[in-house]
Amino acid sequence: MHDGTTSPGTGATFSVALEVRDLVKSFPGTRALDGVSLAFRRGEIHGIIGENGAGKSTLMKILAGVQPPDSGEVFIDGVCVHLRSVRDALDRGVAMIHQELNLVGDLSAAENIALGREPNRFGFVARRTMLRDARAALSEVGATFSPSLRVNDLSIAAQQLVEIAKALACDARFLIMDEPTAVLSERETTALFALIKRLAARGVTIAYISHLLPEVLALSNRISVLRDGKLVSTVIPSDVDESRLAGLMVGRALADIFPPRAAPPRASPLLEIRNLRVGAAVRDVSFTVASGEIVGLAGLVGSGRTETAEAIVGLRPRDSGTILLSGKAVRFRGPRAALEAGIAYVSEDRKARGVHLAMSCVENVTIPHLKAFGRVFPDRRRERATADTWIARLAIRCPNPRAPIRTLSGGNQQKFAVAKWLDALPKDRPRVILLDEPTRGIDLGAKLQMYRLIADLAAQGLACVLISSELPELIGLCHRIVVLRAGEVAGTVDGDSATEESVMRLAAGVGTRRVGNEFGRTG
Amino acid sequence: MLARIAGLFERYGVIVAFLVLLVWNAVFAESAADFRRPENLRNILNQNAATGIVAVGMTLVIVAGGIDLAVGSVMALCGAVALVVANALALRGFGETSCVIAGLFAGLATGIACGTVNGLLVTLGRLPAFIATLGGLVGYRSITLALADAGEIRAAKTDLLGAIGRGGIPVIPSTWMESGRTLTFTWNIILFFVVAIVGQVLLSRTRYGRHLVAVGGNETAARYSAVAVDRVRLIAFVLVGLCSAIAGLMQTARMASVSSSQLGLQMELDAIAAVVIGGTSMAGGKGRIWGTVLGLLILAIINNMLVMSAVSSHWHGAVKGMIIVLAVLIQRSRRA
Repeated sequence: MHDGTTSPGTGATFSVALEVRDLVKSFPGTRALDGVSLAFRRGEIHGIIGENGAGKSTLMKILAGVQPPDSGEVFIDGVCVHLRSVRDALDRGVAMIHQELNLVGDLSAAENIALGREPNRFGFVARRTMLRDARAALSEVGATFSPSLRVNDLSIAAQQLVEIAKALACDARFLIMDEPTAVLSERETTALFALIKRLAARGVTIAYISHLLPEVLALSNRISVLRDGKLVSTVIPSDVDESRLAGLMVGRALADIFPPRAAPPRASPLLEIRNLRVGAAVRDVSFTVASGEIVGLAGLVGSGRTETAEAIVGLRPRDSGTILLSGKAVRFRGPRAALEAGIAYVSEDRKARGVHLAMSCVENVTIPHLKAFGRVFPDRRRERATADTWIARLAIRCPNPRAPIRTLSGGNQQKFAVAKWLDALPKDRPRVILLDEPTRGIDLGAKLQMYRLIADLAAQGLACVLISSELPELIGLCHRIVVLRAGEVAGTVDGDSATEESVMRLAAGVGTRRVGNEFGRTG
Repeated sequence: MLARIAGLFERYGVIVAFLVLLVWNAVFAESAADFRRPENLRNILNQNAATGIVAVGMTLVIVAGGIDLAVGSVMALCGAVALVVANALALRGFGETSCVIAGLFAGLATGIACGTVNGLLVTLGRLPAFIATLGGLVGYRSITLALADAGEIRAAKTDLLGAIGRGGIPVIPSTWMESGRTLTFTWNIILFFVVAIVGQVLLSRTRYGRHLVAVGGNETAARYSAVAVDRVRLIAFVLVGLCSAIAGLMQTARMASVSSSQLGLQMELDAIAAVVIGGTSMAGGKGRIWGTVLGLLILAIINNMLVMSAVSSHWHGAVKGMIIVLAVLIQRSRRA
C-alpha cells in the first residue's frame, strides 16, 4: 500500500487535483471510513471499487460535501478545505453525478443546468442567456437535443448528459460518478466513456465508482480498492486482472466462500410453477423446486424474477398459469395465506419492504404471525424469548432486541428479515422459502453466514428459491439455476456445471459486457 | 450524554411542558388561586373531554398513517341523528328511556357508518385520507344542516338527557370543599378517561395496535409482512368515527340540543393539535395516547390561562398556533 501521492513504479510527480488524508467517518455501529488517504491526479480517471460497505459512497459523499468527515483533511489544489455543503463543494469545483439523477423533472434541461444560478436581468430570469449558456454546456458534452426540452421527456442517458453539463457549467474540475452506467444501454455506455475520456483529456479529474470490474479496468488510469473502510491498494489496470481485483475487494480467495453443496434431492417437486403469466413482467415462467433443493432464479433487472416470486405468494395477481403446492393447485390472496400454506417470501429491498426500520427487532420478528403470541394481547415475554432464540441461532449481533432494528447493520437486519419468516412458517408441513436478493448490501461476513443458513435450510428439508444478481452466489449455492429473460425461462443450468458465462449468455441472449464478477452490486 | 438528554427530551418533553405549565399556573401565576380551585380544574376537563375523546381516535388514524378531517362534522351528524330518532319515537308515544337509548344507538351507528365510509374510500377507493375525509368534513356537515334546516334540533324530552349530559359521579365530598358543594366528575370526563385508557392499551399492548404502527410506519413493509393492511386502516377509521360519535352524543346530551352549524365545528383542528403536541408523528408509525392527553391538557390550560388573564380573545388563536408549532419544532429538533 502506498499513499498515492507518487506514482507507483515511475516515481514521477503529478499535479494533484484533490487529496484526502486520514479520513475517518463513523456511523452508529460501523466505521465507514477508517483512515483513508488518497490522491487524485489532475486529468486522471480514477476507478474506485469495493464491496458494499467498503466505504466508497461515504468517501464520495465527503468529497461532494454531503457529509463532513469525523476527522481527516481534504485538499483541493493543495489547499486544505472544509466542505460544508454540496453548494460549497461545487463552488470549489467538485461535483457529483448521482446514480439517481438529481434533476427537476418538470423543468427544462436549460432550467436545470442554470438551477440556483439563473442569469438575471432586472430581477427576472434572462431566458435567452440561459438557453444560450445551456446550449453551449450541452454541446460540450456532445448532446444534440434542445435545451428547452423538459427533463422528464428525455431518456435516462440524455438526463445524465444534462447532469454532467450542469456540473461543467458550474466549472466543475472534479467529477464524481457513481455507477453511471447502471442505467445505460451498451451504446450509451460507449458514448459516455468517450465523453469521460474527452473530459479527462481537458484536465477534468474523474472519480469513477462502479462494481463492474471490466468497465473499471477498461476506463481507468488507476484503480483504488477499498475494503472495510480502508484503502487496500491503488493499482494500474495493466498490472491486474478481474480476479485479482475481486480478490483485493474480498480479501480472500473466492473459493472458500460457499458451503459444500449437498447432493440434489431425489424427491418429487414440492412447488411447481407452470406457465405463469403476470402482467407484462412475467410472460411464461415454469419451474419446480423440491424439498431440500436450492433453485436459483437468475436474470437481468427486468427479467421478471421478483414479479414471479411476488405472484407466487399473492402479492401480485397472476393473469394465467398454475401454481402447484404438493401437487395441489393453489392461489393465495396475499402473503398471509401463502404463509399458512407453508410458503414465505423474503422480499428484496430490505429497508423498504423487508423490515420495519422504526420498530424493534423483537417486533420485526413476530409481526408476520403475531397471532401466535396472543389473539388480542401479544405476550411480550414470549416474543422476546423467540427473538432471543433467533439471535442465538443466526448469530445476530444485536445488543438490545428492544431497540429499533435500524440501529443494526444491514447484515444483521437481513438475518432478522429471514428469521421472521422461518419463525412464522408452519412446522407441521413442507415449507418453501423464496429469498429475493438476500445478500444485497450486507457485508462479507454476513454474506457467508447467509450462504451457510441457506444451505442449512435446504438440509433441513425446506425448498429454497434463491433470487440473486450475484452469479457466483447462485453458482456456488444452487442445485439448479433457472435463467429468466424478459419474463420467460431462457434456460436452466445445473449448479455443478454452471459458469458465469453460461448463465449470463442465457440471461442476456448473447455474450454481454456484464459478464464478470458482480460482487458488491448496489441498487 | 447531551444527545441522550436531547433524546429524553424529545420523548418526554411533553410531560415537562405540562408540569411546568401546571405548576406555573397553580403556584406562581397571578391568578393561581383561581386556577387551582377544584371547580376550575374540573371545568377544564369537562370543557375539553369531547375534544379529548376525538383526539384519542385521531391519534389512532394518524399512527396508521392517515388523518380524519371529518370528525367535527361526524359529531354533529351523530348528535342530529340521535335527536331526530329520539324525537320521532317520542312523538309515537314511546317512553323517555327507550327514546334516549334508541337515539344513542342511532348516533353511535351513524358514527360507525361514517367511519366505515371514510375507511372504505381510503382502502378500497385508494383515496388519500386527507381528500376522503375532506369530503366527509363538507358532506356530513351539509347533511346535518339539511336535517336541522340549518338551525337547531332540540330534544323533545330533556330530563334523562340532561342527567346524562350534566350528571356524573361525586369525587370530592362537600365537607372537603371550600364552596361546601360536592365536586362531581361529569360522565363526559369519565368517558374521556375510559376512552383514553382503552386507546392507550389498544395502541401499545394489542396485536391491532402493533399492526397500526406497522402500517403507519411502512405500509409496503407491512403488506410484505403478511399484515392485512386495508383491514387495519379501515378499523382505524371506524374507531375514530365511533369516538366522534361518543363525543358528539355527549355534547348533545349536555345541551339537550344540536346546533347543526356549530356542534363540533373545527374539532378536527383541535384534535390534530392535541395529537401533534403529544408527540405523535404526522407521518405515521409513531404515537402515544398519553401524549395526546397531555397535549390536550396543555392547550386547555393555556386557554384557561388566557381566559382568566385580560388578553383579548382575538389573540388566543395566535398563542395556540405558536404552541403547536413550537411543540413540534422541539420534538423533532434532534432529527434536523
